[in-house]
Amino acid sequence: MFPRIHTLSASIELLSTWQKIALSVMVCSLSATLMDPLIGHLDLANIVMLFLLVVLFVSVTLGRVGAIVAAVVSVLLFDVLFVPPRFSLTVDNSQYLVTFAVMLITGLISGQMSAGLKDKERQALQREIRTRALYETASKLAGAIAVSQVKEICEIFFQQELAVSAAILISEDGMIDFDLPNNQAPFPLERHLVDNAIRSGKTINNEAIASTRYASIYVPLKASAAIRGVLALSQYGRAAQLNDDDLSLAQTLGAVLAITIERLHYVEVASQADLDRVSERLRATILSALSHDLKTPLTVIMGLAESLGRGNTSIAEPILSVSRDIYVNALRLKTMVNNLLDIVRLEQGRMALGLEWHSLEEVVGAGIQYLGQSLTANHTVRVHIAPDFPLLEMDAILMERVFSNLLENAAKFSPMGSAIMIEASVQDGCAKITISDQGPGFLPADRDTAFERYNRGALAHMQEGLGMGLSICQMIIKAHGGDIHLGNRPEGGACVQVVLKLGHAPQVLQES
Amino acid sequence: MNSNKIRILVVEDALEIQRLLRSAFEGEDFEVQESDSLAQALSRAATFHPDLIVLDLGLPDGDGLAFIDQFRTWSQAPILILSARMNEADKITALDRGADDYLSKPFSIGELLARLRVQLRRGSKTDTGTSPRLEFGDVMIDFVQRVVTKSGKILNITPTEYRLLTALTRFPGKMMTQSALMKEVWGPHFKDSTHYLRIYVGHLRHKLENDPSQPKHFITETGVGYRFVK
Repeated sequence: MFPRIHTLSASIELLSTWQKIALSVMVCSLSATLMDPLIGHLDLANIVMLFLLVVLFVSVTLGRVGAIVAAVVSVLLFDVLFVPPRFSLTVDNSQYLVTFAVMLITGLISGQMSAGLKDKERQALQREIRTRALYETASKLAGAIAVSQVKEICEIFFQQELAVSAAILISEDGMIDFDLPNNQAPFPLERHLVDNAIRSGKTINNEAIASTRYASIYVPLKASAAIRGVLALSQYGRAAQLNDDDLSLAQTLGAVLAITIERLHYVEVASQADLDRVSERLRATILSALSHDLKTPLTVIMGLAESLGRGNTSIAEPILSVSRDIYVNALRLKTMVNNLLDIVRLEQGRMALGLEWHSLEEVVGAGIQYLGQSLTANHTVRVHIAPDFPLLEMDAILMERVFSNLLENAAKFSPMGSAIMIEASVQDGCAKITISDQGPGFLPADRDTAFERYNRGALAHMQEGLGMGLSICQMIIKAHGGDIHLGNRPEGGACVQVVLKLGHAPQVLQES
Repeated sequence: MNSNKIRILVVEDALEIQRLLRSAFEGEDFEVQESDSLAQALSRAATFHPDLIVLDLGLPDGDGLAFIDQFRTWSQAPILILSARMNEADKITALDRGADDYLSKPFSIGELLARLRVQLRRGSKTDTGTSPRLEFGDVMIDFVQRVVTKSGKILNITPTEYRLLTALTRFPGKMMTQSALMKEVWGPHFKDSTHYLRIYVGHLRHKLENDPSQPKHFITETGVGYRFVK
């Protein structure tokens, strides 16, 4: 994995303590033998320097034990071989005792220092190896495109670097579902410790169960937005427990894992949104094509029926009457086609409402305008909405459809020349809009089943189109969080009440 | 081609509708040419010099919007959109890109001809909008004095209402999109506060219309904008 550059020091690391001692004695003895011919040429003080040099060399290469042995052996060799009287431990000049002491102390201190350096070097080396492993794992994680891949990379990392088995548990909304197939670990888990880790956001290390098969370390995977899961480590079968360095390594990788899982989470969210958008677009395309195909022949039928009666006085009245009937029925078909397309649009999933703050008077007015002559030719429409009636948050296109459907029904069922009333009031924090007519009113059976679009039995005795129109009204109003009620006025005639939420209309700055 | 007849180019891929429009337009003594594709439409428009274009948004070989863009680089002749689409956003885009009006299919021929005449009248005038006064119903607007009267009585109109009134009435019959009106009357920063527009149109209706809930002059085109009708 990591190239060993320091081959010499590595092979020395492998030596046992006794071997180091022997080596140290040998080096000192050899040096002393080599220095022997120098007696008479060199001053004893310089011989001492040479011995110190040897001690320093030994302490650097063989560490603490070697240094101590070298210091002691050098003092002895110097005393016996060089200090008069030679070949005896006795010393003529007591000044040499100071020399011995200095040699000994120098050896010990240099040994201590070089051993410290060696430890530091070893630690630095270990850290470097781990950093490299961490870096490699992180770059692998950056390329991961599935959570299963992340788990695999994570397992390999912990097996290689710390010799523990690891498992990742993914959480959803701060909860871990242990029954999910991808939340299974190869070792048993202490679930309350998992929960603790998520709740506290801190690493939990239960040393008491470290030797069991149970996972004893739980690292919460904290990403920027939320805790994405827990990393569980089982130390079963490991000689010693993980130390602080190992734990901080696990936590560092935990942070990387958390970011990776969060990234994958957002990728998934984005691709789901993408999928939704594509299917939404497809739906819109199909609807648009359907709309085109239905409306083109309708346009032609309406246009031809209309042009028969236009500016051509030579056409006989019976033919004109037929053309008028064709036109009126085509108009009815147009409403039904629009309703049908609306049903498809409303029913197929979550159609986004284009909610904006609208004036009720304007939307009702647009509904009247949409029906045009077919409504106003034979009926008087009276609208009573106070000028300061609050704005309502609604999808104006859909609500216009609601009012035009309700008005069309009212016109269809009430006698020619009668009035249709629209009134609005604010009650109990809601806007209540009633559309009432002077027709026969709803039959009790109709009132119960009018909204059931596919209830053929109920539709059979109703006038054509009523069920569909009312069903659409209900769908649209429900989508707005409102309600619709069918009823009859005490004095006769149907009365439909639409209830909409008032909400908090935006402020409008008044002109000074 | 050297007649004085009004020339209309119909860009529509459905043959039945082409035929229907041709018979309706010829009944009005217009000269008609058809095109059923975008590529053909542009070259037709260049040689035929139409006074008005009736354009279906869903052409087989491209989007009608692209035609509007190219046509508007060299002609200001009115464009009337025919649309079977259910999406209001398409109409708004077409209007903002330079179309003048739209009708949803299925439409009535009578309504189509009425809209056509409004556009042709507008197109023939070279000094649209500079007339010093405008009368509709019993309302009279004096643009010089900045005075609005109804049945001879002077109305109290606020500055914003007056700005909106002039914006709406500048081109009678023309569809004005919400965003165009917002930008002109309130400026670009109020683009998203369209409820202001609705409230002020409501004010104008209450002051100028006989029945504000069933307006005859300030017509709502739901989801798209407003149209002033004389």
